[in-house]
Amino acid sequence: MNMRRSKLFLFLINLLLLAAATGCSTHSKPQISLVAESLLESEAEQMLWEKSEREQRTLESNGLVYVDPQFEGYLNQVVARLMPETVPANLVIRVKVIKSPYLNAFAYPNGMIYIHSGLLARLDSEAQLAAVLAHEMAHCIQRHALRAFRKYRNQPAYLIAVQQTLLKTKGLQKLAHAMGVTGAMAAISGYTRELEAEADRIGFEWVLRAGYNPKAALSLFDQMLSDLAADGLEEPFFFGSHPRIRQRAENLQNLPEPAMIDTLASNNDRQAFLAKLDQLLLDNARLDIRLGRFQVARSSVEKFLSIKPDDTRAYFLLGEIHRQRGQRSDVQTALGFYSRAIRLDPSFAAPHKAIGLIHYKKGQHALAKKFFESCLQLSPDSPDKAYIKGYLKQCTISEES
Amino acid sequence: MKRLLWLSLLICVVSFLACAHSGGLTKPASYGYNVNIPEGWRTIDNNRYLLLTKDNPFQQYILVQNRPIGKSFRHTKKKMHTAMLPEEAAQIVVDELISDQNLLNLKLLNNTPLNISGYDGFKILYTYQDGEGHTFKTLYYGFIKADTFFNLRFTASDRFHFQRDIEAFRLMLKSLEIVKAKKT
Repeated sequence: MNMRRSKLFLFLINLLLLAAATGCSTHSKPQISLVAESLLESEAEQMLWEKSEREQRTLESNGLVYVDPQFEGYLNQVVARLMPETVPANLVIRVKVIKSPYLNAFAYPNGMIYIHSGLLARLDSEAQLAAVLAHEMAHCIQRHALRAFRKYRNQPAYLIAVQQTLLKTKGLQKLAHAMGVTGAMAAISGYTRELEAEADRIGFEWVLRAGYNPKAALSLFDQMLSDLAADGLEEPFFFGSHPRIRQRAENLQNLPEPAMIDTLASNNDRQAFLAKLDQLLLDNARLDIRLGRFQVARSSVEKFLSIKPDDTRAYFLLGEIHRQRGQRSDVQTALGFYSRAIRLDPSFAAPHKAIGLIHYKKGQHALAKKFFESCLQLSPDSPDKAYIKGYLKQCTISEES
Repeated sequence: MKRLLWLSLLICVVSFLACAHSGGLTKPASYGYNVNIPEGWRTIDNNRYLLLTKDNPFQQYILVQNRPIGKSFRHTKKKMHTAMLPEEAAQIVVDELISDQNLLNLKLLNNTPLNISGYDGFKILYTYQDGEGHTFKTLYYGFIKADTFFNLRFTASDRFHFQRDIEAFRLMLKSLEIVKAKKT
């Protein structure tokens, strides 16, 4: 293939990946046909995979992947349980977690699925997790990227319209840096409505076949809608979009009766599932705190406390949520949580400093000094020691005057 | 039609040149501050911030901003308050930087308290990469005065430009004077 042809081909692939995301588009769409040839037989699919691998390398080298081999192992066990028998041997489905508090999961054509920590933290059962993963697996196994590419390559006008729409999407260009075009498209808008509905239908069959409780899986979308409404959140991704979630819920509700028959599946054990999430709940809460999404952060921490009721870091984070939010009576509430964190583990330095800050801002310098000193004693090399020493100096000046 | 295009282009160029100053000037008090602009640096300014560069903004720039307290930051929902300590303000800036997806591989090298022109503030040093993989280093100073958050930052594309031009930034920082903003 000469260079010019190769560039044209790459351009088409990029445009397809833009087009793969047009569930809300009003343009007319022809039926997407199934793929007849075997995996990686076509040049288009080979290039899609190569591009995916490049984008994944960039994504992972940017430190966006959450590293927890044990939890990753658990996710891949769920995938193995869902896996249909007829998958080609060279399509290996793997799951990794992205450090992001936003609601999202997306799949690359080569079988790599990324799920955001924010989405995981919102789930309540393995059945809900299975519903998310099965949908993404269906995109890979049904080769939706390749099918979308073939559908759109002869429709340049449509592709340009799609491109225009997507370029107006807030944050798209920034995300594209980290995820690449393939990931950004799959993550932000999803595939076409037709392919999304297919992924819902097939994915849900796998969920049932694996013995998961269908009611628990179905509750996922209702729960997401009520969470988004309650928190008043605006999210940039597919899973964070109200119309898209509603569409997904409708897709599942409209499935034929046999698929909806309840089973005796008992895998709806919330506590056992939350125990698997474990640290991820707190780590994701920190991300939400950073974004100022205090209510969501509080929900994650409370989930964590339901499995580990005596965790000092969780109480410290509840203190941070209230201190940073700074609404009426928040400071007093924060003080209570910090004190509890100290009672649970007196050697944990962070709440000592936080209580010191509260007293310092109230002008209670003698009290503040006591807590700042205990903080420095517990953590003499703390990265914020220059600030703490400054507060101590002020406290001393205040005492002397 | 072509004439109209040329005329528009000419107006744009003239407007840009009218806004670009070079060296030794003191900014008007409409900003709420005065600074001495280093010799040899060009300013590209508008009503919202002051941007200076010696060569071009991709090699080095100084940005001076005064933003109203209570205005949400772009990438987080956080706001500053008048009663905030410098460390709390610095934390909001750090959260904002970490949440900015344009700043890849962000590394926070230092975050310390500092007195800036008589005001308690902070100094943050960090590096990051852009989408093309170029590394930038930034020194960020900030403080709260009444209902305004003042911040001055110096960014350079590599060690050579950072070391060569940091002194000009320090001199400019020393010259900073907060004044009552004139209404424009």
